[in-house]
Amino acid sequence: MTDMAVKPAPAPSRSAPVPRPRRRPGGWAIVRAALRVLATLAILFFVLFPIFWMALTAFKPARDAFSTAVVFAPTVDNFAAVLGGASDLTGALVNSVLIAVATTIVSIPLALLAAYAFSRYRFPGHRGMLLAIVATQFIPGVAIALPFLTLFRSLGLIDTHLALVVVNLSLVVPYITWLLKGFVDGLPIEIEEAARLDGCGQVTLLWRVITPLAAPGIFVAAVFSFLLSWNEFLFPTFLARTDASTLPVALMTLVLPEGVAWGQMAAAGLLVMAPMLIMALLVRKHFAEGMTMGAVK
Amino acid sequence: MVATTVPPPRQRSRLRKHAVPYLHLAPALLAVVLTTVYPLVSALITSFRHWRLNETREAGEFVGLEQYQRVFTDDTFFNSALVTLQFTVISVVLSVGLGLAIALILNNRTRLSALTKALLILPFAVAPALKGFSWRFMLNPDTGVYDQLLDTVLPFADDINWLGDPFWALMVIALTEVWGWAPLIALMLLGGLNSISPEVREAATIDGANAWQRFWRVTFPLLRPLLLIVIFLKAVFSVKIFDQVVTTTGGGPGRATESLNFFAYSQGFTFLDIGYASAVSWVIVLVLGVLATLYLIAMAKQEAK
Repeated sequence: MTDMAVKPAPAPSRSAPVPRPRRRPGGWAIVRAALRVLATLAILFFVLFPIFWMALTAFKPARDAFSTAVVFAPTVDNFAAVLGGASDLTGALVNSVLIAVATTIVSIPLALLAAYAFSRYRFPGHRGMLLAIVATQFIPGVAIALPFLTLFRSLGLIDTHLALVVVNLSLVVPYITWLLKGFVDGLPIEIEEAARLDGCGQVTLLWRVITPLAAPGIFVAAVFSFLLSWNEFLFPTFLARTDASTLPVALMTLVLPEGVAWGQMAAAGLLVMAPMLIMALLVRKHFAEGMTMGAVK
Repeated sequence: MVATTVPPPRQRSRLRKHAVPYLHLAPALLAVVLTTVYPLVSALITSFRHWRLNETREAGEFVGLEQYQRVFTDDTFFNSALVTLQFTVISVVLSVGLGLAIALILNNRTRLSALTKALLILPFAVAPALKGFSWRFMLNPDTGVYDQLLDTVLPFADDINWLGDPFWALMVIALTEVWGWAPLIALMLLGGLNSISPEVREAATIDGANAWQRFWRVTFPLLRPLLLIVIFLKAVFSVKIFDQVVTTTGGGPGRATESLNFFAYSQGFTFLDIGYASAVSWVIVLVLGVLATLYLIAMAKQEAK
């Protein structure tokens, strides 16, 4: 699915481009190719360095945390500290996983059903509802979090997993409905017609035919759903500050009166970041399309 | 839901046939209405009511437009509106500009470019809150790795306390956004560049157009609808900036980085003035509503093509 294999980098292989016949392979062409390689390396540096630096800092012993040293005796002290140690974030890690998984499990069936309806039927309100789904992306988080803050307070649900799963639906369901609609659009309708001729009912059709066929799309949707819930910061800041707080919010506990515990911050940061980096690589082809809800292919 | 034993669709009653799509939509619709429409309406109602959580548990009396009047006479609100506007302009210009540059540099088929394209998505997947911490760490004026790097290259940068200076603090937050968005925008634009056929550019070259003319006369006009979409999208997400404000500056120094979302948050959460915070959040809803409409128009135009 991905070509994560890291090629032995930069050797100026630019001198042998495959397509487009080169006009004058003179001096200018070489200079331009060299500049392009340099610019590409600069892009790689811009994109990767902050990630690299955090990973590096996470393994630095306390006395080196503030140094710019690249060579040091690596240690897992920082991970020990945030996983059961002095500044334990294990609870937040568990919350993050539980909430992201629950949000995903609840959202996928809802979104798949809706996506199927949008893809296969034309009905009054079709276009309007699709637009409304795109429009939900533009609602500012505070306008959702504030009313839920007072509602959950009166229901005694403040600082619970349930509270966060509910509000996360506002982010995830519209998003993956749109994503899944794209996938269902791409499924050949002939298979469904054949199944119906064989007397296949709607529920069986959805469960036995559509779900397996849309499996790759469901995987992508699940990854996005997990990623959105995992990285969400505003909702838990409003609704779950302690017991049900997730990792991104729990990072704030490493900001101490005497300053930020950067070593531990980096270790915790790596825990927040690493699973998402892997997921992003798995579904990277769908990001551009996903973020613009299909406006950009 | 419909049972498995129902006859094929053509034998069903008309009413039932019409109900089918809505039955499929109902669960998702219910979830979306409960988690977006309900809070929006609830916040609108609350915005007309007096409600301080430290005074009463329940919402107080209706005060009409009083809280909206307060919004538009509140200097701290105007400050946050201005901060948000500056931030939006800075981060849109930098993200889209850099994104376009990255796309143009990588628009070729070398292996190095292919590898770079594959890795472009990584920063966007990093939690925004963490982006804030990461850049705050790297720009620490005493020990940060980027700070030291910049101090070596640009001697005047030595005196800059990145997060202590009103201008630079906003720039740092913008930078955390640009780090995630510029590569993503580059990916979107690369999709657009791919759809421009090489023959068009070849033809321009044969007609004697130089690289500069080819970009402005051929590539740019073809890319313009896509650029418009990307600009609106980035603008919307910039207006909503919140996470990195909390994790880099907490709104400071002074109020120099207090965005609208952060302002609404502090009114509601720190000062517990739910009524006023709701009015502020509805003002944000309206601002974003305008941007969203422009975005949807741009999107419809792109679709129509």
